[in-house]
Amino acid sequence: MTVNLKRSSPGGAQEPGRRSMLGLLTGAGLAGSGLLGVISNLVFIKPRATYGQPQRFTIGKPDDFPTGSRVALQAQKICVVREGDKLAAVSTVCTHLGCTVGLSETGFACPCHGSRFDHDGVVTGGPAPKPLPWYKVTLAPNGEIEVDKDTEVPSGSYLSL
Amino acid sequence: MRLALAIGTFLILAIHGVVFYNQFSHRWERNQVAYFDQARSLAKSEAERTSLADRKPRIEQIVVTSFGETRVDRCTTCHIASDDPRFVNHAQPLRTHPYSPALGDLEKNGKWERRHKFSEFGCTVCHDGQGRGLSPEYSHGQDHYWPDPLLGYATQAGWRKDFLPMLKGKAYLEANCAQCHTEPGFRGTPTVERGRQLFFATNCYGCHKIEGLSDGTIGPDLSEVGRMWKVDYLWARIADPKSVLATSIMPKFNLKEDEIRALVVFLKSRKGKNFTETEIQRFKVKTAGGAELVQATLRPVVIKPGEMVAQGGKLIEDRACTACHKLGGRDGGIAPDLSFQGLLKDESWIFAHFKNPRSTVPDSIMPAFRFTDDEFKAMTSSLVSQKSVPPLGSPAATYQALCQRCHGEKGDGHGLIAEHLDPYPRDLTNAGFMNSKPFARLVDSIRNGVPGTSMPAWGRILDEAKAKELLDHIQKTFVKDPRKEPPVRQVDDKNVVAMSKESMDRGAGIFVARCAGCHGKKADGKGANALDILPRPRNLRNGWFVNYASDRRLAESILYGVQGTAMPPWIDYGLSRNDVGDLINYIRGINPKPKGDQNAGAK
Repeated sequence: MTVNLKRSSPGGAQEPGRRSMLGLLTGAGLAGSGLLGVISNLVFIKPRATYGQPQRFTIGKPDDFPTGSRVALQAQKICVVREGDKLAAVSTVCTHLGCTVGLSETGFACPCHGSRFDHDGVVTGGPAPKPLPWYKVTLAPNGEIEVDKDTEVPSGSYLSL
Repeated sequence: MRLALAIGTFLILAIHGVVFYNQFSHRWERNQVAYFDQARSLAKSEAERTSLADRKPRIEQIVVTSFGETRVDRCTTCHIASDDPRFVNHAQPLRTHPYSPALGDLEKNGKWERRHKFSEFGCTVCHDGQGRGLSPEYSHGQDHYWPDPLLGYATQAGWRKDFLPMLKGKAYLEANCAQCHTEPGFRGTPTVERGRQLFFATNCYGCHKIEGLSDGTIGPDLSEVGRMWKVDYLWARIADPKSVLATSIMPKFNLKEDEIRALVVFLKSRKGKNFTETEIQRFKVKTAGGAELVQATLRPVVIKPGEMVAQGGKLIEDRACTACHKLGGRDGGIAPDLSFQGLLKDESWIFAHFKNPRSTVPDSIMPAFRFTDDEFKAMTSSLVSQKSVPPLGSPAATYQALCQRCHGEKGDGHGLIAEHLDPYPRDLTNAGFMNSKPFARLVDSIRNGVPGTSMPAWGRILDEAKAKELLDHIQKTFVKDPRKEPPVRQVDDKNVVAMSKESMDRGAGIFVARCAGCHGKKADGKGANALDILPRPRNLRNGWFVNYASDRRLAESILYGVQGTAMPPWIDYGLSRNDVGDLINYIRGINPKPKGDQNAGAK
């Protein structure tokens, strides 16, 4: 559209090749600025930081979780599962309406609407539509376990210590 | 035209590009990328490498809710290696936070474990700074408007240049340690502890209040001083009080640099409610009596009977008496010269003045210090032994040596320490006043002093002849008018009205109607007009003075006024001799007779 505007304006004694070249350059410049403007606005829409607790955090040394234990961490809303040399973190947020599920003999049980999950977080009963997600677990350089709730991993993927 | 348009659009594109670059290219991103690269090269296993490959730069933050208001600390966005022990020897910002047993960190099999985990404590709880900031200037609190720059690390542009080197160092961090580790004598905060000792040793407590520690009332309350001021201000206030506030009456103490630092760190740690206190504990601290606590903190010196004078002298030196007074080559420039105190006052006066300065000079600004009686006795005997009279030559030299400190070089009553004295030293250039008093009374004021004021009795230093010479000198140099003896008034020597409840009540009525405008409703000399009047109206609650002034003098001052002052002759305004008698009874009645003798030094 800018290019058209330029062409309709009175030209003077310049050659058409140079005129259209300048018109193209003007158009490219404006289009570039516009593009940058659009990108900045799109990037701006997504916040870089939120005010909640961080999604990646450390939960202590592997020794804090003895073999065969399942420890639910209330504040972080995860359950740390340790089996031998393997360790994993399973979400304890019910996939139905977001209640915090409790540990039970057979896995997890939601106190709100009675959803049941097995040890791997697979739904065994109740209204929950999806299995409990597993989160990525790594060993931080200072020797502590780091859980990244931003990254889900397929159920059954453990961190080998 | 088209060329200009084309260039113009490219200029806009360029500006857009610069803005875009500035907005979306961050120093912290580059720091994080550098960290990932270095961590990858340090990684021992393939798994570690792949997990690092997944990580992209992002704002790291620690949300801390357990220390006061919620803190959002994004420090680890740049200082991303702060908990990675492999980066101990790297340069900042990619450097491991030091491990230290002093911080409570434990070493087990060559691996350190932190006592204060960053995920629990964050960063700003200890270090201050602006937790949310993402550029060094803002996050380190270097912009002028941030109240808590990184303690002992960051300085701000407005700070005094000569103080900057002193305001850096790890010692300042102790102020924040002390927000939880409040117990006195905590091993991790030796500087705070030293500052606390100095707060008492240098007598700060005499003027300043800190809740739960002291109860001084002359200076500002320092209970929350650490929350309100930055370290540069605290340093300047202690090192050079007048540089911050020209009207400050705080003395400049003779402190070494490390002593000032300890005091600054101690004051910085006074932030009101600390993190470990419960509300009920806070209440107890607020309501606790300062006096007992001071007594408990001070370490009394054991006085040996044989060495009273020497030990007292040492106490006077150690406890910064010369921050205000003049003694032995030091001069605080706030309070009287003590070099010849033994010739001016006797032991009982000095001791009573130590115990409660206002018991001897009712408007004294000297704080009541909380030393033991033994210490006061030793200091008293040291002062009593101070008898070094400066060489007295001519009357001019005598004036300079003895009078000038209060009455001023020009005799106008604006001497070095005059503003700290109440009542103010007499203006000797006021010819109306000077010539309205009989010569004998002026000699008496010099030789026997004026009780209840800062005018001491010079009788032991100046004999009658010398005092007269001095007065002649004052008359010639300051009064300038030739000496005239005032007329002798017809005033009764004894009050004509007998002292009684009824007389006092009548006197009170007259006082409120006629006198209270200047002398105040409480007769304390602070009436509504008092501030416009120089010399100030007499404080008639000054028991020493009222008891010293004879009935005749009071009656004469009321009936015939005081020339050269704002006191009018009330005989012209319809007060009868009986009214004046009632007034005198009222004034005497509200002042109990003080015990002791103010002029004992002269005799």
